[in-house]
Amino acid sequence: MAEVTVYTTSTCPWCTRLKDFLRAEGISFHEVDVGKDPAAAKRMVELTGQRSVPVTTIGEQIIIGYDPDGIKELLG
Amino acid sequence: MTGELYDLIIIGAGPAGMTAAVYCLRKGLRTLILSKDIGGQANWTTLVENYMGFLEISGPELMQRFEEQLKKEKATVVIDEAVNLEAQAGVFAVTGKTTGAHRARAVIVASGKRPKKLGVKGEEEFKGKGVSYCSTCDAPLFREAVVAVAGGGNSGVQAVLDLLANEARQIYLISDEELTADQVLAEKIIDHPKVRLYQHSLVTEIHGEQMIAAVSVQSRKTGLVERLPVEGIFVEIGLEPNSDFLQALRKNDLGEVVIDCECRTSLPGVFAAGDVTNIPEKQIIVACGEGAKAAIKAWTYLTQK
Repeated sequence: MAEVTVYTTSTCPWCTRLKDFLRAEGISFHEVDVGKDPAAAKRMVELTGQRSVPVTTIGEQIIIGYDPDGIKELLG
Repeated sequence: MTGELYDLIIIGAGPAGMTAAVYCLRKGLRTLILSKDIGGQANWTTLVENYMGFLEISGPELMQRFEEQLKKEKATVVIDEAVNLEAQAGVFAVTGKTTGAHRARAVIVASGKRPKKLGVKGEEEFKGKGVSYCSTCDAPLFREAVVAVAGGGNSGVQAVLDLLANEARQIYLISDEELTADQVLAEKIIDHPKVRLYQHSLVTEIHGEQMIAAVSVQSRKTGLVERLPVEGIFVEIGLEPNSDFLQALRKNDLGEVVIDCECRTSLPGVFAAGDVTNIPEKQIIVACGEGAKAAIKAWTYLTQK
């Protein structure tokens, strides 16, 4: 399965819901808290073109916002 | 149109919708909840300190508690956005964007509100690329940045405070009139060295290439337009009801569904509760109370029909 990375901030309610969804579905993921790591925030903007969280990358694919259906679709 | 005929469809699963659902399920009504999400606007609230029983709790955590209670009652939930409501041959049909028509003998509308947009050039183009509607989420991404905030109410001032807490370099607060935020909040920012106020002013355009580079701000008093270089803009200009699809119901000038003291709408058999209605107190605890009322009234309607 492609690697799943979720870019978050600790105060973002939708990030919390997204992580809860992934855990409930048994999807393992790597979390990057861009609020605590300015270098990671810069990388996220360069990689995804987004200055907003949550953003999820699944391999090369990017999903913006809280979009469980989009994640399910990409993971088949 | 096929499928089960429910006693009741509840549109929306925020505080009003989930409370209504628990009441209806406990009364034995066959109930379907149709909602684009679970928790609604309460998910956007950082801290709730006036919901009885909790000294303080985050909005998402409170909504998770609600959801647990909903699951305990074995609720049937369809995650989809309602796009139409109409009366057909003595029953109501509620159409979901992707799931099609669902039928019931009565309906409770609890579809809540959504953030208002500025409606200016560049807003859609730069959404997520500097335009944000959630300072709680995105303020940490603007450390050391120059940022604008549109909106002089409590939400706008709270966005400024979120940005200050996250060490933004400078913040332009743009308000179409005088600040309307509560004094206790406004006092925290009015003389802050990092905050510059633009009162009686409007954002007229958002500029940039890949990301936001500037916003244009026009004074309503002089008509002069100033272009402010910024890396982001937080839009906090209030909320509007999710009622576009409710053509069948009477609404007020704000687009809110008009209800009476028994949560009845202009269409018999359709009830409404929470922030989508003309009840002026937009509070979680009020929405819950209205949801409970709507459920009891819907049950009475169904049992006396």
